[in-house]
Amino acid sequence: MTVLASVSLATFLVTGLAATQFRSQPLPPSNRLARDEALRQSVNQLEDQNRALKARVQGLQAQVKAGEDESAHRSSAVQQVKAQLDDQRLIAGLTALHGPGLTITLHDGANPNDPADQSLGWTIHYQDLQDVVNLLWAGGAEAIAVNGQRVGPNSAFHYAGVNILVNNASRLSGPYTVTVLGNPSNLANGLGDPDQLAELKSRNRIYRLGLSWQRSTRLSVPAYEAAFLVKYAQPLG
Amino acid sequence: MRSPSVKRTAQAQRLIVVSLIAVALGFLLVVQLRSQAAVARSLAAQDDTSVALLINDLNRANNQLIQQGAALTQQEAQLRQALTAGGADVQAIQKEFVTLREVNGEVPVHGPGLQIRIEGTIMDFELQDALNNLRNAGAEAIALNGYRIVGSTPVQSHADSLLINGHAVHSPLSLLVIGDPEQLGPAADLSASSLQTRVQVQVQRQTELAITEVVTPRPLIYAQLGK
Repeated sequence: MTVLASVSLATFLVTGLAATQFRSQPLPPSNRLARDEALRQSVNQLEDQNRALKARVQGLQAQVKAGEDESAHRSSAVQQVKAQLDDQRLIAGLTALHGPGLTITLHDGANPNDPADQSLGWTIHYQDLQDVVNLLWAGGAEAIAVNGQRVGPNSAFHYAGVNILVNNASRLSGPYTVTVLGNPSNLANGLGDPDQLAELKSRNRIYRLGLSWQRSTRLSVPAYEAAFLVKYAQPLG
Repeated sequence: MRSPSVKRTAQAQRLIVVSLIAVALGFLLVVQLRSQAAVARSLAAQDDTSVALLINDLNRANNQLIQQGAALTQQEAQLRQALTAGGADVQAIQKEFVTLREVNGEVPVHGPGLQIRIEGTIMDFELQDALNNLRNAGAEAIALNGYRIVGSTPVQSHADSLLINGHAVHSPLSLLVIGDPEQLGPAADLSASSLQTRVQVQVQRQTELAITEVVTPRPLIYAQLGK
C-alpha cells in the first residue's frame, strides 16, 4: 500500500511538472519567425498609413492656409485676425525657421558586453533627448528639431526599443541630431556646464557615448508636421 | 506475518521508488528553471514588447491624424463656402486662433482631467517623465503649483526645489492636467507607480478643472521666418 501511494504521488507530481514544463517551452522557431514577421508587417503597414496621413494633413493645412490668405485679401477684419493667427502659428512651431544656433550630436557608445552591467548606459535613451531639449529651452532656445522633427508644444519623447518616438509616432534612430536656434554662446554654455546633463556626461566617459555640439551661423528647423486638436480644454470666461 | 527477507524486499522497492521520484523531480526542476530562463532570453532578444508598444503608438497616432484631417477638411470647406459666396469667414479663422492660443498656453482654460498631488521632493527628470507620459496620453493643458507648463517650459532641480521656468515650487505639488481622464489616468498611474517608492502620490479624476495661469510667449530674437 505504501509503495502504491508513493507511486501515485510521484505520478501526480511528475505529470504536473511535465505539464508546466510543456507550457513553458519556447515557441518552435517556425512559429516564432511567423509571429515576428506578422508583427513587423503590422508595423510597416501602420507606418505607411502614418506617412500617408501626415502627407494628407500637410496638404490640407496648405489648402486651409490658401483659403485664409484669400479671405484676408477680401476682408480687413479677416486680415487682422490672420496676422494674429500667424503669430500663434509661429509660437506653436507650425512655421519653418532659420537662424544661428547649435547642432548637437548624440550617439550610442561601446557595449561593454559585461554581464554584470545591465544598465544599457551605452545607448541613448529617450530621456537623454528629453534632458537635452529641456536644457536647451532653459538656455533660451527659440526653436528645436530632433532628426528633422520639430519639437512642438505637445511633443513627447517615447520609448520604442532601439528607436525613439516623437510627434505622432515618428520613429527616430541614432545618431540623433538636435538642431537648436538661439544665442549660440548661451546655448553652448548651458551644455558645457558640468552641473548640467551630469549623468549623460558620466556615461560619455564610461561608455564613450557620443555627446558633442557645434556652433553655426545659419541653421534651419522645419515646421511641425501635424495640426493641433483641442477637444477637452475650453477657454475660461 | 511477513518473513524478514520479504520485509527487506519491500523496503528496497520503496527506496528504489523514492530514489526514482527524487531523480525525476530533480531533473524536471532543473529543466524547468533552464527553459524559463531561455524563454526570458528569447523574448528579450526579440523585444516583442517594444514592437507591441510601437504598434500601439502608431495606432493612436494614426487615429489622431485621421481626426486632424477631418477637422481640417471641415475648416477648409467652411472657408471655401464663404469665398464662393463672395465673402470671407472670419469665424473659421478666429476658431483656429483660439485653439492655438490654448495650445500655446496663452489663455486660461477649463475642462475634465486629473489632479495629481505629490507629497515629497521629486527631481526634475521625474517631473519631466511624468509630463512626457501625460503629453503622450493627450494632455491639453498642464499647470503645477500655479505655473502653466507648455512644451518649451524648462523644468530644473535646484537643491530641494523644482524650478518651473525659473520659479521654485515646493511640496506638496499639485499638478493639474486637462484632457481625456480615461487616457490620462493610466499615464498618471504609470508615473505614480515609479514615484510612490519615495513620495506619496494621489491621482484624482475630475470632471471639471480650471487652469487660470498663462504663459507669455518669448519673442524671437535669433530665429527668422523661412527655411
